[in-house]
Amino acid sequence: MAALGTLGLVCPGASAQASTTAKASAVSSSVKACGSVNLRGVSATDDSGNPFHSSKLVCFDGMLIRYGDSAITYSNPPASYATAGKLLFDQICASCHGSEANGISPSGAASIGPNLQGVGAATVDFWITTGRMPAADVAAVEAERKPPRLSDKQALEVAAYINSLDPSVPAVPTPNLKGADVADGASLFALNCAACHTITGAGDALAFGTNAPTLQNRQITAQQVVEAMRTGPANMPRFSGNLSDAQVRDVVAYVTEKIQHPSNPGGAGLGGVGPVAEGFIALLLGVGGLALICFWIGERS
Amino acid sequence: MSDEQDSGHEPTRTKVPMPLATLSDPHLGDAAKNPSRAEAIIAAILVVGILMTAGFGAAYVDNWNPWAIGATMGGGLFLLGFGLTAWGKYLMPQGPFVEERHVLASSPEERGAMAAALVERSAVVVKRRKLLGGLFALGASIFGIVAVFPLLRSLGPQPGDSLDVTDWRKGMLLVDSNGRSVNQGTLVVGGIMTVYPHGLQNSTYSQSIDQTVLIRVQDSDLVTAPGRETWAPAGYVAYSKVCTHLGCPVGLYEQQLELLVCPCHQSMFNVRNGAVPIFGPAPRPLPQLPLYFAADGTLRAQAGYDQAPGPGFYERTTTKENGT
Repeated sequence: MAALGTLGLVCPGASAQASTTAKASAVSSSVKACGSVNLRGVSATDDSGNPFHSSKLVCFDGMLIRYGDSAITYSNPPASYATAGKLLFDQICASCHGSEANGISPSGAASIGPNLQGVGAATVDFWITTGRMPAADVAAVEAERKPPRLSDKQALEVAAYINSLDPSVPAVPTPNLKGADVADGASLFALNCAACHTITGAGDALAFGTNAPTLQNRQITAQQVVEAMRTGPANMPRFSGNLSDAQVRDVVAYVTEKIQHPSNPGGAGLGGVGPVAEGFIALLLGVGGLALICFWIGERS
Repeated sequence: MSDEQDSGHEPTRTKVPMPLATLSDPHLGDAAKNPSRAEAIIAAILVVGILMTAGFGAAYVDNWNPWAIGATMGGGLFLLGFGLTAWGKYLMPQGPFVEERHVLASSPEERGAMAAALVERSAVVVKRRKLLGGLFALGASIFGIVAVFPLLRSLGPQPGDSLDVTDWRKGMLLVDSNGRSVNQGTLVVGGIMTVYPHGLQNSTYSQSIDQTVLIRVQDSDLVTAPGRETWAPAGYVAYSKVCTHLGCPVGLYEQQLELLVCPCHQSMFNVRNGAVPIFGPAPRPLPQLPLYFAADGTLRAQAGYDQAPGPGFYERTTTKENGT
């Protein structure tokens, strides 16, 4: 908690220098109303998950409550959740992330898990609600998705506790998919996401035992997709200023409406893993069936 | 009646009329001897096939879902074919049939007369038709000349430096696919985007050869190799997105490992280290684009790539070894 006072407004790099004077003054007045918020997780560019470019900024008692625009609303869990969250953290998380969630074990050495201070509520919510944390195997290369061990409310409680240690953004996002442009989302997906997750969202292997998980799993919620894009879990890049909240919302709509519910005009999608599986089926059923028909025609009755 | 006429070993030129099939024909199968049942089944199959074919027409006109269109068309054609094949298999006489072939050769007299006529006529024809012979020879020789054109064309013009240089120039603004420029706050650490030279972001040529990945690795300046001290301001580092192996877009960025991975053959490039390949078939590092922040805060290129992007080619003069 001592670190809280010294943090102030932490912009990535010297981004404040690049801002115009008008922006800078808007930022400082907002900061006064919102207390100290660590901006490590968002870009300084307008309309990209930055609370101080938000049309919905709500602060209360020096705390950042909610921000965002019509595409995505980001809200922090209530500060009152932090007490219950600390209990959960001490029981479940502290053994790996350190008792102060700062990545330092009691011996002073680095703990198994990374420092969680300043990651923002969205990061904590993502890792817990996707079941990746608590980890099944701390020695594994990556924590895989599994049924969550904590409820959504417990995830928010832990997020509230972590956020109370070093108030940060992004907060937990709620995308509003009503105005989404799914076609725009499809082209953004092809440019930014398909390289790793493949164009059908089936996921693929990456370097050194890591992988890009499938997005076709219908357990994946719109909220989790926004959290992943804005926080960059594990090896996933973090999409910040190059995608506005409206563009992120479009991508999310494409993932939840099309990737998770593919139309498959040819019938079976065969997992969307590409020409190997499709060619195998074509050979087996197509050529095999033709061979059977040939045998029947040629056979003497 | 009998197909197996025993006409001896001597070929005959008399044509035997095809015998009419009757129900007592030994070549008819059991089903054909009592055809009413087989006929009824085949008729039923054909009727269903007709209905499905008509259904296909309705499905097509009324634009039903693709499953219905495919099923009615496939089913209709299959059943019509099945009915036809079953008709042939079960209701027609089954062989083996033998039909002796008559002698094909003409008689020696006819052959002699033909040869004599050819010799006589060709002498007349070629003498009298010099014009046609000349025209044919002209056509053939023109074709022979035209056939040389592609060979000549492959000799030039020379590609020059079009394979070595891109559209990146000193002071060129980096923009994304929507034409938006990049400033210092656009990416946070761990972020990636694809950038193009300003004004060319919608050009398919630029999208193929100028495409560049922009990654923010850290908050402070990054030196990826000696001599590149100023190339990556504020941790923004840019590499050609065209793989040096076969030209695939190297778009997979793993932010914890700080690796760029090519999706085609899994070449891996160390982003922190000048994109030196650490695994896979890529023979050379990805060329790095030197960057700077202009006075207006936008990110621009200090110069073009210092070497040819993409796969190697004959007469490549700017090839540099790993790590340079």
